[in-house]
Amino acid sequence: MAANPTNVTAKALFEGYDLGAFYDEMFEGPGKPRPHYVKLFQRLAEMAPEQFEERRKVAELSFLLQGITFTVYSDGAGTERLFPFDLIPRIIPYHEWEKVERGLAQRVKALNLFLKDIYGPQKILADKRIPRSLVYSCKHFRREMIGLQVPRGIYTHISGIDLIRDSASGEYMVLEDNVRTPSGVSYVLENRLIMTRTLPEAFQAYGVLPVAHYPSELSRILHSLSPRGNHAEAVLLTPGIYNSAYYEHSFLAQQMGIELVEGRDLVVDDTVVYMKTIHGLRRVDVIYRRVDDDFLDALVFRSDSLMGVPGLMGAYRAGNVALANAVGNGVADDKAVYAYVPEFIRYYLAEEPILRSVDTYLCSRPGDLQYVLEHLGELVVKAVGESGGYGMLIGPAADKAKIADFRRRIQADPRNYIAQPLIGLSRVPSFDVEQGQVGGRHVDLRPYCLFDGEEVTVVPGGLTRVALREGSVVVNSSQGGGSKDTWVVREEG
Amino acid sequence: MTTMLSRIADSLFWLARYMERAEDTARILDVNYHMMLEESEKFLRLRWDPLLVMAGEEQRFRALYDEANAHTVFEFLAFRQDNPNSIVQCIANARENARTIRDRLSREMWEDINGLYHAVNSFDCRQEIANGPHRFCDLVKFGSHRFHGVADATVPHDEGWQFLRLGCHLERAEMTARLVDVQYQYLLDAPLLSGPPDNHQWMAVLKSVGAYEAYHRKHYSQIEPEHVAEMLILHPQHPRSIRFSVNEVQEGLRALSNSQPGSYSNEAERQTGKLLDRLRYDRIDEIFQHGLHSYLNELLGSCLHIGEHIARSYFYYKAIV
Repeated sequence: MAANPTNVTAKALFEGYDLGAFYDEMFEGPGKPRPHYVKLFQRLAEMAPEQFEERRKVAELSFLLQGITFTVYSDGAGTERLFPFDLIPRIIPYHEWEKVERGLAQRVKALNLFLKDIYGPQKILADKRIPRSLVYSCKHFRREMIGLQVPRGIYTHISGIDLIRDSASGEYMVLEDNVRTPSGVSYVLENRLIMTRTLPEAFQAYGVLPVAHYPSELSRILHSLSPRGNHAEAVLLTPGIYNSAYYEHSFLAQQMGIELVEGRDLVVDDTVVYMKTIHGLRRVDVIYRRVDDDFLDALVFRSDSLMGVPGLMGAYRAGNVALANAVGNGVADDKAVYAYVPEFIRYYLAEEPILRSVDTYLCSRPGDLQYVLEHLGELVVKAVGESGGYGMLIGPAADKAKIADFRRRIQADPRNYIAQPLIGLSRVPSFDVEQGQVGGRHVDLRPYCLFDGEEVTVVPGGLTRVALREGSVVVNSSQGGGSKDTWVVREEG
Repeated sequence: MTTMLSRIADSLFWLARYMERAEDTARILDVNYHMMLEESEKFLRLRWDPLLVMAGEEQRFRALYDEANAHTVFEFLAFRQDNPNSIVQCIANARENARTIRDRLSREMWEDINGLYHAVNSFDCRQEIANGPHRFCDLVKFGSHRFHGVADATVPHDEGWQFLRLGCHLERAEMTARLVDVQYQYLLDAPLLSGPPDNHQWMAVLKSVGAYEAYHRKHYSQIEPEHVAEMLILHPQHPRSIRFSVNEVQEGLRALSNSQPGSYSNEAERQTGKLLDRLRYDRIDEIFQHGLHSYLNELLGSCLHIGEHIARSYFYYKAIV
């Protein structure tokens, strides 16, 4: 395999480490690790950069050999790349995590109640707690879902909620919700596996909460949705090997022991879904679908889609098949609707939000629009319908041309844009392959939440994504981001 | 779980087929290349042309190269990406099939195929041509052996495993048939050009299917073309004989449908039974009387039919009643 050029020197790993003006997850002051990082720091500080580099290469090789890759489309060929893995874990002490977990559970329940309401009685619209026009103009709002009874009233079976830690306050904040087909959980599980093989000694000093129960918990929830009671044939529907998250689809199907199917493996007859097997057709009860709404059923949504299953929505509507997540969830994770989630929590649960949200200006509101246009150089602007770090303006880092470009775009379609103040993301020491040294790099955190209709289960930790380029704040894998193993550790005493 | 998606069965079948094709091509290339080193210059053409015919790629080769020699043939059969049956392409195709069904493979199996793919792609084509193909061919051969070993040892011997078995043995039967056919035709013409019949060529045939030692255990005499053909077509136990391979196909098909000996439940099984009966009861002198070339051609035709009917019975979508 191609080795990256490294300038590994005899310097200690953390020599000259600069805390910068950000919240550092590992250090509370220069050379002074936070209590929950002390033991890890001691072990890493003993290690020469060469030694560290050697371990890093071993880890990288095992990702390559296992084919844990994602696909990038920008270079035309759709090549497979490794998702860079940084060996220094992000550690979260349990007392912090416990609050995050409660906050996430609260949020997932509120989002589910919102979806149930919006595709049902629409009380929240009648009570004018969110503008009807905002909801109905969401790109992912699906009129087809109105009045459709989803199995057990669950919409958000699987959520990935992106958190950041604000350097100014040191608090966790919700950056965005992902309740359509969030990906990345396979990296949580694989990172942990490879980490235990690569740096086993680091675990010995800690009680790290395990993450491996995710697939069995998901499997339990999927099987509980079956319209045929105990008889449940669940499958995972993938767009196929050219999808960037294909590795994850096959990984999860294998871990759960369910079939990994493509649209062409399924057929609908008289509102019942079947899969084509070597001995004929076999009924399917539950579909964990990783195909977007738009491509799910060419009879209802995009007619040019070959990825989905014609007639699937009819079977769903007839109650003969369960889908996870539900169709139409995109209305709840719309970047403009995001501003109203704290309101959903108050409205549906009569509770105060446990996790803060980022202040959000909706360009659809005339007052907000004017403010945004006057402060483009200071704000982060996001297109509401985009994801993966695309369609975004980071004002303080942008040149005049880009700002002017966004100004035009916002004025042309205000509903499509929101703006937020730039939050100084916290940093975690990460190994810079080119410099052969450890430097502070910005991180976010995507915990994965499973909802069974009663309780929310959150995998301890989640996926820490790290912007590996010095100074960068974009953590997306398609744009130079990597990941870290994330440890929630029990505290002693 | 007893469900097997038609698409997955299809991929398993082709995974094994491509792997076998890669191995067989590597074997033939390796042995012939090294035999050639001992040949005199004027017979070189004799060595390389049959290889291209065997691979069924003569036309494509002619479009790409002016001359068949050690370098061009090796590059073409081992590395060319625009030759869909080159070894690296076969392995890429095998891996692509594996990738679409990796949730059905054992972790070991996938990692092994993926590792082989990365290994053959890390070879520098120019460098290997200069070094000779042995190292490369050996890697592929043992990669394929490991594939069978890992599959046997880590994958449940259920329906999926039967499709691997079908793909591997159907491909092997075809490759051996082509090998015997082509070598015979060229060697029958050869004496006219090269004088005395050449044992080395037949030795190469035996070695390319790994049957050289087995041959000598059976026949003490020098290498007789008829005995070689008998061994490669009719031997009941040698794992590279056509009869053995077709027998494996029959066993695999019966395991899938639970058909009892003497009966059949689909066209693939009927065709396989007919073919196997010929291979069981024909003698080599009868085959030569019939004409070896036409016998092998009929045999290849049967294999083609069997492949088509396997697809029709198991891979295509059956309407519900």
